[in-house]
Amino acid sequence: MSAPHAAPAPPDLATLETLAAAAVERARRAGATHAEAIVGQSRAFTVRASGGAIESLKHSASRALGLRVIVDGAVGFVTGNDLSPAALDDLAARAVALARFSTPDEANQLPSDEETAGADDAPDLALYDPEVLALTPDTKIAWALELERVALGHDPRIRRTDGAMVSSRDGASALANSNGLVRSSAGTSVSMYVVPLADEGDGRQQTGVYGCARRWVKDLEAVEAVAREAARRAVARLGARRVPTARVPVVMHPDIAASWIGEMYDAFTGEAVLKKASWLTGRLGQRIAAPVVTLVDDGRLRAGLGSAAHDGEGVPTRRNVLVDRGTLAMFEYDTYHARRAGTRSTGNAVRGVGSVPGIGPHNLFVEPGAETPEAILARVDRGFYMDDQGSYGFNAVTGDYSFQAQGFWIEHGVKAFPVEGVTVAGTSLDMLARVVAVGNDLRWNSSIACPTLLIAEMTVSGA
Amino acid sequence: MSSAPSPDLSALLPRDLVVELLALARAQGADFAEVYGEHTVTTAFSFEENRLKTSQYAVAQGVGVRAVARDQTGFAYADGFAPADLREAARVAARIARSGPPGGAPAAFRVADAPAPFALARPFPAALDETAKIALVRRANDAARALDPRVHEVSVTLGDSSKRFLVANSDGVWAEDGADLTRLSVAALALEGDVRQSGFAAGGGCVDADYFESVRTPETVAREAAHTAVTLLSAKEPEAGTYPVVVGPGWGGVMVHECFGHSMEGDTIRKNTSIRAVQMGQLVAARGVTIVDSGRVPFSRGSFRVDDEGTPSQRTVLVEDGILVGYLWDLLNARLTGHAPTGNGRRASYRDFPLCRMTNTYIEPGPHAPADLIASVARGLYCKSLGGGSVNPADGNFSFQVTEAWQIEGGRLTHPVRNATLTGNGNDAMLKIEAVANDLAIDGTTGSCGKDGQWKPVGVGQPTVKFTEITVGGTA
Repeated sequence: MSAPHAAPAPPDLATLETLAAAAVERARRAGATHAEAIVGQSRAFTVRASGGAIESLKHSASRALGLRVIVDGAVGFVTGNDLSPAALDDLAARAVALARFSTPDEANQLPSDEETAGADDAPDLALYDPEVLALTPDTKIAWALELERVALGHDPRIRRTDGAMVSSRDGASALANSNGLVRSSAGTSVSMYVVPLADEGDGRQQTGVYGCARRWVKDLEAVEAVAREAARRAVARLGARRVPTARVPVVMHPDIAASWIGEMYDAFTGEAVLKKASWLTGRLGQRIAAPVVTLVDDGRLRAGLGSAAHDGEGVPTRRNVLVDRGTLAMFEYDTYHARRAGTRSTGNAVRGVGSVPGIGPHNLFVEPGAETPEAILARVDRGFYMDDQGSYGFNAVTGDYSFQAQGFWIEHGVKAFPVEGVTVAGTSLDMLARVVAVGNDLRWNSSIACPTLLIAEMTVSGA
Repeated sequence: MSSAPSPDLSALLPRDLVVELLALARAQGADFAEVYGEHTVTTAFSFEENRLKTSQYAVAQGVGVRAVARDQTGFAYADGFAPADLREAARVAARIARSGPPGGAPAAFRVADAPAPFALARPFPAALDETAKIALVRRANDAARALDPRVHEVSVTLGDSSKRFLVANSDGVWAEDGADLTRLSVAALALEGDVRQSGFAAGGGCVDADYFESVRTPETVAREAAHTAVTLLSAKEPEAGTYPVVVGPGWGGVMVHECFGHSMEGDTIRKNTSIRAVQMGQLVAARGVTIVDSGRVPFSRGSFRVDDEGTPSQRTVLVEDGILVGYLWDLLNARLTGHAPTGNGRRASYRDFPLCRMTNTYIEPGPHAPADLIASVARGLYCKSLGGGSVNPADGNFSFQVTEAWQIEGGRLTHPVRNATLTGNGNDAMLKIEAVANDLAIDGTTGSCGKDGQWKPVGVGQPTVKFTEITVGGTA
């Protein structure tokens, strides 16, 4: 495919701000006591390659509006992608009509001017890379084809792939509320991955997955390096077998550790704590983890995939230390739950145009330690190195952890052979207390990251 | 305020415009083009902490244009129906082909007249007003809280959606259809001292306005969720290891969906990334096991008259008495492999191109009484309800979260078990079925299946099934 390519213009934030402010005004006229509108738009291009050719090209471009109204303390919310004046009038009327069905609650408030002050003081967060827009479709197609070609050429036992994907995106949003707040921001991201499949001719396939996502094109790993890492992962799994059930030390690969951190996050929200649905309820100020564990949510990391100057209600973001050297230091809040709990928003209202704000993290991570992953592995005489898992296995209410796992059996500090068909189980409080090492290998491929972790003992369930 | 009437899609997408878009999408030589227009209205009421927290309404509309050149897909969409935007989407999609001769548009369309699998007299989403819907939510909240004083918190959500779509393609297919889906879900949290547990249950599907009176009341759904939460307060950790497992009827069919169904989808068969691609005619499940995918199960959210490509839904037998006999096909993969499409071309919305997807996937009933299956286990696990599950179709590794399980000792259920995870390899899981009971139930109330980032409503089902062994994760 060869297509003429003129780089599209960057998002027009002023237009989005005008749309959002006009929607707030419509809601006020329709009878809202308070109103808050968010207008979001995004453009994306995704190419998928398979079998040495383009499998699909997808162009996306969308714009939509979300409108939250508070009428006498009760909330109505509407969203739509028809932004014509008549459609916006209809949405505003519906929002106000719906609010009258909801239960009035004095905690339903917009953040005060004082709470939203300061977002404009944010340093340059480097969220928007103009080079992402300048990437031509042909460049992205070439990358996808190269990802697959390099993966296939890495080892003769890689006979096919489950596809290679390259995607670029730019988005922008504007927020306005009836206190006169108007804020907007724009960001980019570009990502790639490939899924090589390896087999030794015995009809059993093994999967390797590796990918990379960044806001800036210049920060991407080399296409060849991504493909080779994915291929290495697939080949390394060949001959995987099960192991007998045992209680052993578990080394978590950064992907697995980050997944656990993400699953645990709900327990750190003020909403779960208010409902007593958090396994951390009543533990504020207590030691909940080993002293090597410091868990941070930082909305202001430069070029961070989860960074933003302000949250989904316009409150400035900041660096929140949730677990400070093992001690539970704070929970996170949006405005509603902060009012309920008698505290202030921590800048964690997270939302898209299609939903009311909820509590969420920006860039969530465990502070890196000093040891290399190799040094951590060398500490384990006999144990399990976990580097792949199933999708479901966490109980948000209890913190119970029980995941299907793949990885390697560790003997005398080295990976002895690949393992599959086992589960790894524990409870989060117990696991947090037994973190004995945190690696120095913190890398960001999403907005949640964690270095390699060594957990002193978990149950590996197998044959 | 009632929901707005759905617009007439054939007025927004008149035939001459569709013909023009199809021709534009094939202007650079694509073999096939398709236009898909959609208008969807969604409403939701969320009840938490004894309050109706939010009342929501959403409307989404737009048109997706797909062009296919051999096995290559180009896709673009536009929000709304403005002809200029649609022409641009068609031109962008067309670029998948490399400057071949224009393919043109069909001279005439055949309007799909396939019979509907079932009829709704008064589809729930439009038939009830807000007050009536909220009354159902409150009834569920009250019933869950009344079950047991240890029920501390209850979250109830009633959501419904009303979708209308129009799909037309360069082969002359023209189909208009819709889906009216409703779901009432209840999550209950039980507390006793420091112990907390949760339970979940749901009702709904593609149902009529009186469903929550005549089929499954809000009280029934709520008590199920609350009962699970309270039961689990006294649950023990599962024994880690590999041993016999009995999985209960209905939602337990999520196992056959994940462990087996995904590996039968035509894209993975054509591309030879599924182990099933070379197993036609072979024994892939235990004798006595028959596995079906049917888009025509009454009142399920996985059912429809025509799929999102305009192909009529059908019942497809995948496995008969343990032998692999059929795959699932969408238009693209069927055409490339010379098969007939089976009505499994599905898309999450106009913003996505169709993929080969399951509809309602289930194991047909066998001869045994469910109680006999449990009675035959000396020491094992009974999984009353499963949560989420996933599989990697390429290597077969699967896992399921078990939301409510019971220890079996000496053929009897002894105590509840929490935090169990089932794992294994889908390549042989269906071969480990030892017995199938006669109590088939298909759960079409709540399931959604994710593939390549697209979520689609599905039904799953099975009778009570006994596996000779499954690996159970746990800490005991």
